[in-house]
Amino acid sequence: MAPEKTEEAPQPYRPYGAELKETRPYSPCRAACPAHTDVQAYVGLIAQGKYHEAFEVITAPNPIASVCSMICHHPCEQSCRRCAIDEPLAVRHLKRFAIEKSLDYRRAKRRLVKKTKGKSVGIIGSGPSGLAAARDLADFGYDVAIYERHPVLGGMLASAIPPYRLPREMLKEDIDDVISKGIEVKTNCEIGRDIKIDDLEKRHDAVLIAIGLSLSRSLPIPGVGGPGVLLAIPFLQDVAFGRKPALGKKVLVIGGGNVAMDVARTARRLGVKDVSMVCLESAEEMPAWKWEVDEALEESIKINHRWGPKAVRREGAGVKGLEVVKVKSVFDQNGRFSPSFDNDQTSLIEADTIIITIGQMSDISFLKDSVVKVDERGRVEWDPATQMSSARGVFVSGEVVTGPGSAIAAVVSGHRAALAIHLYCQGEAIEGNLPVQEKERVEQMPAEVVEKVAREPRLKIKHLAPEVRCDSMVHFEIGYDEAEALKEAGRCRGCGGGAVVDQKKCMACLTCMRVCPYGAPVVTSVSEIRPQYCQACGLCAPECPAEAISMVSYDVKEIRRSLPQVVGRVEPGRKEPLIVAFVCTHHVGVLGFDLPKNARTVPVHCTSRVDVLDLLKAVESGADGVAVVRCGDGTCKYREIAPRVNARVKRGQDLLKTLGMEPGRIELLTASTGNGGNPYATVVSDFSERIKQMGLRGVK
Amino acid sequence: MIVGSQKPIEEIWEMVRDFKKVLVFGCNTCVAICHAGGEKEAETIASLIRMRAQQEGKEMVVDHLGVMRHCEPEYFDPVMDEVRKYDLILSTACGVGVNFLSDRTGSVPVYPGINTSFYGAVEAPGSFVELCAGCGNCILHMTGGICPIARCSKTLMNGPCGGTNDGKCEVSKDIDCAWYLIVERMKQLGTLEKLSEVLPPRNWSTSRDGGPRRVSLEHIRAYEAQEGQDSGTAGGMK
Ligand SMILES: Cc1cc2nc3c(=O)[nH]c(=O)nc-3n(C[C@H](O)[C@H](O)[C@H](O)COP(=O)(O)OP(=O)(O)OC[C@H]3O[C@@H](n4cnc5c(N)ncnc54)[C@H](O)[C@@H]3O)c2cc1C
Ligand code: SF4
Ligand code: SF4
Ligand code: SF4
Repeated sequence: MAPEKTEEAPQPYRPYGAELKETRPYSPCRAACPAHTDVQAYVGLIAQGKYHEAFEVITAPNPIASVCSMICHHPCEQSCRRCAIDEPLAVRHLKRFAIEKSLDYRRAKRRLVKKTKGKSVGIIGSGPSGLAAARDLADFGYDVAIYERHPVLGGMLASAIPPYRLPREMLKEDIDDVISKGIEVKTNCEIGRDIKIDDLEKRHDAVLIAIGLSLSRSLPIPGVGGPGVLLAIPFLQDVAFGRKPALGKKVLVIGGGNVAMDVARTARRLGVKDVSMVCLESAEEMPAWKWEVDEALEESIKINHRWGPKAVRREGAGVKGLEVVKVKSVFDQNGRFSPSFDNDQTSLIEADTIIITIGQMSDISFLKDSVVKVDERGRVEWDPATQMSSARGVFVSGEVVTGPGSAIAAVVSGHRAALAIHLYCQGEAIEGNLPVQEKERVEQMPAEVVEKVAREPRLKIKHLAPEVRCDSMVHFEIGYDEAEALKEAGRCRGCGGGAVVDQKKCMACLTCMRVCPYGAPVVTSVSEIRPQYCQACGLCAPECPAEAISMVSYDVKEIRRSLPQVVGRVEPGRKEPLIVAFVCTHHVGVLGFDLPKNARTVPVHCTSRVDVLDLLKAVESGADGVAVVRCGDGTCKYREIAPRVNARVKRGQDLLKTLGMEPGRIELLTASTGNGGNPYATVVSDFSERIKQMGLRGVK
Repeated sequence: MIVGSQKPIEEIWEMVRDFKKVLVFGCNTCVAICHAGGEKEAETIASLIRMRAQQEGKEMVVDHLGVMRHCEPEYFDPVMDEVRKYDLILSTACGVGVNFLSDRTGSVPVYPGINTSFYGAVEAPGSFVELCAGCGNCILHMTGGICPIARCSKTLMNGPCGGTNDGKCEVSKDIDCAWYLIVERMKQLGTLEKLSEVLPPRNWSTSRDGGPRRVSLEHIRAYEAQEGQDSGTAGGMK
């Protein structure tokens, strides 16, 4: 695996418009992602068939992107502006698709990074937080060593999250990306037991404690001690490391969070038919994600709501069941967790195995009497403004200090710590130099815009059938195929990637305001395009007579600049006409590009972006015929596009006429999907035939 | 605003065909609003010239550029060094811009890419109509806000003439009779009786007949003198 070549860390890939985006409100999906992954950019790249570029955008802020593509709780989707229209984009699943398409690409990219800083950092813990910090510090040029007490890297991802949700091959790819930079790995090495923290501190210029929350909390109720009562993390660890925990025939899981779901569903997969859960909360109050609960119910797991554990009943040494007491309320008036019980109502839930899944805490016994102070409640003392502990040069990140959260949040904490360590090692101030988390976001879509957007339901994510998936630890979720991914990516409304006016050039002619189908531009002394209205259709930019409008997410002049190369050498003795086809990718994505060989394809997200200057440039570059291929009537992703595109094609034709050329060399074609075959190829071949009749330019 | 329309490509070609390096120079004010000569149309014309050159097998560099206005030096001064590197500047500004720029390009000629047509308004998107002739002596208060000089085919001061026909002009049935419009509008305003007075013959010296015109604002020019600025227009006030 270890690559030979050493290089400076490459500059991270920046999608078009990255700098400009920093000065504008983020798309809500991006603002909601703890790592601020530019969702709008990568979904757009997927729609264009640019999977490797999408991979770069995805992995730039996220070293465990494959993992997140499987298990992230995707706050991006919860805040997607499409929620107001129909359903959110399947962002996480699209991420998975792009990553799966980039397997060879990512492997080929791995490089050792030059250690230019002459300083070293020791990282305790290899969870998301430790890995993120390791990657950043290696890229900065530090010598990095990871100390992990488990035999494998990955933290909870490797040692707890069950494989039916996270196949370990995916995790391995993420870890290999990081480790291949030249990071020293010390597994089976527990700090405190194998190396003292104070010794580690002497060994490195800086140390990062990223040890997560590795201990399960237990319950102080009678009968808990003894066989038949397990704790969640050791149970999941056993499964993760291939040991088979001893379970009875009736398993009861105490807890209503996501970890409890994992425990129950894992027990099902270990062959236990009768798995139930008990939690304090009602179905609505449960902290577990709704989809997790639904999937568990599909797997015939029963959930007992609003019961609190009172005692473990035993028969001999074995467990007979759990005595429970009815919950009156879970939260107090201020919404704080403070359960109250009705002691008159009790019940016994029968079970021979009970697994307690009520929360985790960190194991910081090794910090006792060390330079790192621990507070009276047993938590590491730290300063969130510097990520530093009480000991200079010893930093902290991840769940050990933030408390339980998501993997991606732990990554972000790792990035912050890495930057803090870098600043510290360079003798620079940390406070005030770490990034702010909150970002301004594009507002929700106004109702009048929502009305104008066609409904287009999200493409279902397929799962293995419950009876099949409960039989093994096999990953239960099925990825999109290419056609599905392209279709789903096409649903994105490109929030925050739309039109911007160069106010130095705008002369308030009102054109954009008149053409925009969504009422986004408001022209007073100059035009201002309101991001919450703009759908990034691109219709306005080619209409502006002052060329004052550009798009945040793509270069409006890119097509005309690249056309000479796209057309290539024009053979003077050619037999077939040279066709340039601007093809709308909305319905077929790149799959529709199976055009005749004599056609040069220019994919566009909508024909709205095709400028009359692009049509002319195609002719100027030597095309015999230029086709604008739009999708069938009424199936356009945007509205009111056709009249403007018609007008541009007509103008192009008129201008050809003034040069004495046949106007029919430019045509607008409609590819109606749904009649089978490849309508895109058909309309282009027919057009090509017409051009052949007309004659090839400059060919006798 | 000033309204213009593009010259046919053949006419443009005849002007530019013998030059090697041509700049199509757009103006992003009036003529951009009427989609004749803004940066966008400058780019379009440049593309057409290149294709025309291809057809003739001529080697020619044709670029385009646009600035906010061609009628104030501050807008184009910053690009003048670039502009002077061309053999020919095809300006798509109105005639004002062509004149004004031409005085400032030394040995580089400035040719017109558009025909400057009139002062007009945007009646509907893409439809521009002439409403004023810039005669220098406005009488709109006496004609119900409708200008007989610009809008009557015969520039009659006491119309309508016998050629008025159901509200249309005898010159073409596509032209509204201005005097019909005036009468209708003044009826509506309740000022029709004003028309019983015959308008006296006009003094046309404020219009074209008095030679080239100039408006000079002493309070602003004082500032110019103080800054040591110089208009630089050929034959202009120095
Ligand atoms: C069962 C389960 C399911 C989850 N599901 C999801 C999910 O679906 N989506 C999601 O986003 N998040 C999920 N999470 C949360 C996610 O795993 C955590 O947010 C994340 O792992 C925290 O990262 P971390 O780096 O802070 O710590 P960890 O991942 O806990 O990593 C800490 C590492 O430090 C090591 N370590 C501890 N002490 C020492 C020591 N003294 N010496 C050496 N090494 C030490 C540990 O062995 C561990 O490998 C889940 C968590 C659990 C437990
Ligand atoms: S529509 Fe696209 S850009 Fe907009 S919030 Fe959803 S995923 Fe993000
Ligand atoms: S079309 Fe261009 S010049 Fe006209 S108002 Fe809009 S941004 Fe301004
Ligand atoms: S026309 Fe399209 S790109 Fe332009 S402002 Fe309107 S929605 Fe945005």
